[in-house]
Amino acid sequence: MKIWKYPIMHRQIIIWTALALLLTACAGNPASDSGTTAPVVLASTTFLADITRHVAGDRVKVESLLPIGTDPHSYQPTPQDVTKIAESKLLIINGSDYEHFLGPLLENAGGEREVIAVSAGLHPREDAGAEHGVDPHLWLDPNNVITYVETIREALTHFDPEGTAEYQVNAETYTAELKALDAWILEQVNQIPAERRLLVTNHEAFGYFAERYGFTVVGTVIESFSSDASPSAQQLAALIDQVKSSGAPAIFLDEVENPALAQQIADEAGVSVVTDLHLESLTDGAPSGTYIDMMKHNVTQIVNALK
Amino acid sequence: MPFLFAPLQYEFMQRGMLAAILVGIVCAVVGTYMVLRGMAFFGDALAHTILPGIALGYLVNGGAREPLFWWSLGTSILAALGIGAISKNSQIKEDTAIGIIFAGMFALGIALISTVRSYAVDLSHFLFGDVLSVSTSSLWLILIFGGIVLLTIFAFYKEFTTLSFDPVLAATLRLPVGLLNNLLLTLIAVTVAVSLQTVGVALMVAMLVTPAATAYLLTNRLSHMMVLGAVLASLSGIIGLYLSFYLSIASGAAIVVTATAFFLIAFGWKRITQK
Amino acid sequence: MYPNTQHQANQPILDVSHLTVRYNGHAALQDITFHLHEGERVAIVGPNGAGKSTLIKVVAGVLQPQSGEVNIFGSRPGKHVCIGYIPQRNQVDWAFPVSVADVVMMGRSAKLGPLNWPHKKDWEVVNHALETVELSNLASRQISQLSGGQQQRMFIARALAQEAELMLMDEPLTGLDAPSQEGLLNVLDRLKTEKVTVMVATHDLDQAASHFGRIMLLNHRLVALGQPNEVLHTDNLLQAYGGRMRVDSQGAMLVDDCCPPEE
Repeated sequence: MKIWKYPIMHRQIIIWTALALLLTACAGNPASDSGTTAPVVLASTTFLADITRHVAGDRVKVESLLPIGTDPHSYQPTPQDVTKIAESKLLIINGSDYEHFLGPLLENAGGEREVIAVSAGLHPREDAGAEHGVDPHLWLDPNNVITYVETIREALTHFDPEGTAEYQVNAETYTAELKALDAWILEQVNQIPAERRLLVTNHEAFGYFAERYGFTVVGTVIESFSSDASPSAQQLAALIDQVKSSGAPAIFLDEVENPALAQQIADEAGVSVVTDLHLESLTDGAPSGTYIDMMKHNVTQIVNALK
Repeated sequence: MPFLFAPLQYEFMQRGMLAAILVGIVCAVVGTYMVLRGMAFFGDALAHTILPGIALGYLVNGGAREPLFWWSLGTSILAALGIGAISKNSQIKEDTAIGIIFAGMFALGIALISTVRSYAVDLSHFLFGDVLSVSTSSLWLILIFGGIVLLTIFAFYKEFTTLSFDPVLAATLRLPVGLLNNLLLTLIAVTVAVSLQTVGVALMVAMLVTPAATAYLLTNRLSHMMVLGAVLASLSGIIGLYLSFYLSIASGAAIVVTATAFFLIAFGWKRITQK
Repeated sequence: MYPNTQHQANQPILDVSHLTVRYNGHAALQDITFHLHEGERVAIVGPNGAGKSTLIKVVAGVLQPQSGEVNIFGSRPGKHVCIGYIPQRNQVDWAFPVSVADVVMMGRSAKLGPLNWPHKKDWEVVNHALETVELSNLASRQISQLSGGQQQRMFIARALAQEAELMLMDEPLTGLDAPSQEGLLNVLDRLKTEKVTVMVATHDLDQAASHFGRIMLLNHRLVALGQPNEVLHTDNLLQAYGGRMRVDSQGAMLVDDCCPPEE
């Protein structure tokens, strides 16, 4: 494009047009459409997002940072995730040391936001697996989630005071549903004879659930199944012995872990293996599309395997 | 001798030992030619090159594990023949060509896996392998395909040996050199695919090369080298599993450390007796 | 079992016609024409890089020429299994775990075909070959344990086991001490009774003259081919060796930047 060959007037038009286009291009591409859509509340996981949505109703848009099916232990953040955090103004997390990955992400994102740990105010158990320090899996007891709801309601009210009344109503409705869930679980679990209420799982996750509904957690195979460790023959043998001698009729696994090893243990110890519990993430639609569905699904699997 | 039998009451130990022995034998026999022809890097690269094939198989089959063996078999053979073709026909040295393909394919595999983030953990088990989670059906696959590899080498033993020692002689004898080379590459590929779930990517090259290299130090005859390599590999597998059982260390690593220890002993002994 | 052309009657064992071979743009061999008859013994001499190895490889059928024809008993080398090729010693992996007998038996691979193991007849051929080259007592030694001369004799035995009719040797005398060289040449003499045609590349003009029926002087082109006393005179030598020669009143002196003797 040999601009200098054109007469001066034409040159001016071209240059100014180019500049104008450039400016509109820059201005017309905001990182977020602030001011025209509902403010975004970010939850760390899919089940927290679901719970928050039940309290928030339509007033705010709630998104989950972790996608469906992701285990926080193997979570690899992408640049989009950092952007999501940067744009959020209210971040709902579980707390109790669950979200290891968050520290660096928050630093990278910069900016300011309110971070609410919904398990604050509850008394977490110590974590036997020594992975987290305390056991963060409070949400597996719906009664804890009732406290979560209250904390979320407060946070949303503070964030968006105009919605106070609506949040109150939503919270009450959902809390009633949670109580109904609790009653339903008790009823289901009573189908299992007491001596068969044994949970062997791949994750020290069932502490609160076990306490509330009268189960015993026999042994975990977290050392064997964690993504960074290779189990030794000794560990595997010890686990098989443990499962055999406990009389546990089944072992239960979170979906994302390694089923081949679990099958090995199950075959040798003569128990059945359930591999599709959803403990840390919802699914896309059925069977665990919402938190309550997730709990019902897990309980159904457990009851069917043990009764 | 209760300590010898205690681990064997467990079925997973019985299967694991059998798998380690079978894989060890096949790898050592094939590895004999690889050691003599300087193909260790090729073997390592091949193991890594399988990753995108596995990732694809995983994505296509919605997370099912059984078809993965066939995907890794297919990818492995294609990769072996591909590397063979590229290094023959270009001005780039074989070593460089292998390095480029190896890294590129491995990265492709990781990229593919990262698109489905929830599967990442499961696939890493396939990569690291676990001799302890070998199922009965896996054992049959190892037996059948390992058997095919061994029979083929037995059938073409003198052709492969002649080709490895003196390719020009092979050419003057009008042996089908191109075909034989591709056959050997295919056998290596099958061996890697069959052994991968047992040993894993990181340790694959050790199983191919270390017992054969140890045997090389200790014997003067090719046939003895193969047999001795197979014996050493089997012993490494057995001892490694016992170590994993009694000392609670990762099984794959224990096997490779044992095999390497055998090598170092042979190496040291040879130096001492040569003085 | 592997493809094998029948020899045509009344054809010379080796017929080369206008052979040209190029490497990277320049001609390693230019327009070579000659033929050999059965039982002949020819020495190829010429300076380093003259194309001796190249010629041998083309005749063996492992290198393809750009133009020209090579015929062995009337057909291309690529189909024949009667050609014994003995490589330069430095191109061999001596640490390979094979014994002398193993290597000699390799020569029988084509006769055996796949899935076959050596029969009694094959062992007889191998043993006879080992006797001819006087290596019977070393048959089970690993090949690195042989001296230079013994290594060459082993390859000759392999070619005999192969039942080769045309034997091509690339610098077999290089790096051998004088007694070993004599020993090797004696073995080659003995091959006359086996009716093997022999073509040997060498640097040593004296030995070439005294042990071979014809000498081929090569320097990318065929300078001369004929009996030693016809070929080895000053004009020819100057043409072949060019700047590597000094001629004075007492004769010609050849200075060739070749091969130091091996340890």
